[in-house]
Amino acid sequence: MTPYWEFAKKAFAREATYRFEVFTNVGSLILRVYLLRCLWTALYAQNAAPLNLPLHAMITYATVALLMSLVLEIDGTRLIREKLHDGSIATDLMKPIDLPLYFFSDGMGRTLLYAVLVIPTLLCALLLVRIDVPSPHVLAAFALSFALAYCVNFVLNFCMNAVAFWTLETFAIQLIVRWVSDLLSGQIIPLTLFPGIAGRVLFALPFAAIYSTPLLLYVGIIPQSQWASAFAVQIIWLLAFGAIATLLWRAASRRIVVQGG
Amino acid sequence: MPAAYAQYWRINLLTMLEYRANFAMWFVFTVVYHAVALGALYVTMRQFPSMNGWTFREMFFLYALWMSGHELHNAVFFQIVSVPEFVREGQFDRFLVRPLDALFQILIVPQQLLPDGLVLAIVTLCVAVPFAGLKVTPLVVLFIALIVCGGALIDLGISLAVATVSFWFVRVDTLRWAVMSLEQDFTRYPISIYARGVRVVLAFVLPFAFMNYFPATFLLQKQETGLGLNPIVGLLTPAIGLAWFGVSYAFWGAGLRRYQGTGS
Repeated sequence: MTPYWEFAKKAFAREATYRFEVFTNVGSLILRVYLLRCLWTALYAQNAAPLNLPLHAMITYATVALLMSLVLEIDGTRLIREKLHDGSIATDLMKPIDLPLYFFSDGMGRTLLYAVLVIPTLLCALLLVRIDVPSPHVLAAFALSFALAYCVNFVLNFCMNAVAFWTLETFAIQLIVRWVSDLLSGQIIPLTLFPGIAGRVLFALPFAAIYSTPLLLYVGIIPQSQWASAFAVQIIWLLAFGAIATLLWRAASRRIVVQGG
Repeated sequence: MPAAYAQYWRINLLTMLEYRANFAMWFVFTVVYHAVALGALYVTMRQFPSMNGWTFREMFFLYALWMSGHELHNAVFFQIVSVPEFVREGQFDRFLVRPLDALFQILIVPQQLLPDGLVLAIVTLCVAVPFAGLKVTPLVVLFIALIVCGGALIDLGISLAVATVSFWFVRVDTLRWAVMSLEQDFTRYPISIYARGVRVVLAFVLPFAFMNYFPATFLLQKQETGLGLNPIVGLLTPAIGLAWFGVSYAFWGAGLRRYQGTGS
């Protein structure tokens, strides 16, 4: 495991050198916490509140969602695309390492930096908003669900970046999927606000496993009696996309077309 | 200069015909970008029909107005976002030794940029105007056209300022991205939902409120409750755009004089 640990450490250090970017990311997140506080406060002041989501729960939801995005918006497998573009993937395939695991540890390293940043960001956000803190066992369930969400997100990104083996250009598609999934995963607004059939369809899509499940656990809309089934759905998506990722990777590493380089 | 500019658009459009698949993909990209924003707004306002006195129909118009200014900027001035890259790669120095304004040269670097967003914005605006219950008269059309141009200038001022920052800090991609998405988020709502300090900033420091909020307040004949101004200030957008661009261009000029290159 040692080389992979080193890859993660290297990625962490590399990412940490771009201090200006890190500050920009954190700063804009704080501003967005402020924006959402203003937005929901204004909306709740003039309209009837939805049944199970009072203002403080909505602000908690929005803030935790933003903090989660600090970690989840990192595309852990961006490296695949970059290495395909400059052609270095060809030599990497010859190295005595497991490439998908290498990508995972590189992604982990970069993610860890942002995971560490969650704490100061949270402290800054607390100057602007008050968030609910649930009981320890709810927090533990949230942590588990979040870990599963991270993995689902990782394999989804992996699949999309692996498509670059065929199309060579995936950036636009990836941004499209990212934006659609921000809306459909419950990052921007809770999926419970979507009406009727649309809502039910969204809960059945894999995107819900990324933001919605941990967040609804956190604010208590998913009660303890349904935790097991919530985790089960996340695990099913993880296994399904994990299988697709494996198949894609096997097919891809057999047909490498290097673009110039 | 006009001849060079016409030539630039000719090349652009020819490239577009050459890369039709690419064009289709970026068009989908633009549609999705705005559809997600409007979709989230629609779902939210189904549950909460009033946002400080604004209905969804009015909010849609507010968004369409911002979108038009922003997409006009993207269609005509988008190359400015490449300035950090030019600086990093050392290509920027080339513009400085040629006998034409550096900014103009940057604006005419051919880059497969297509006015897809602008087309989409105009369509959206044409839907939003009657949807918000606004009577279409020649005067209203003229106002909206002027406001969209002013909005594009306000946007240009911001992107030029961010590009100028790249003379000092080489990696500003994240900053540009953050500024752009924060602009989209903060201009989506009436400024009255923010604290007073933020309203003042959005009106007079980074004048995004002039891209859509003030003009929409005037055109929809609403009360201006954010700063208690006379709604007629909404007509100042083109002037504000020019002034803001002027300030930003001065900053750019100062940056150019101090520019030293990255040595690459």
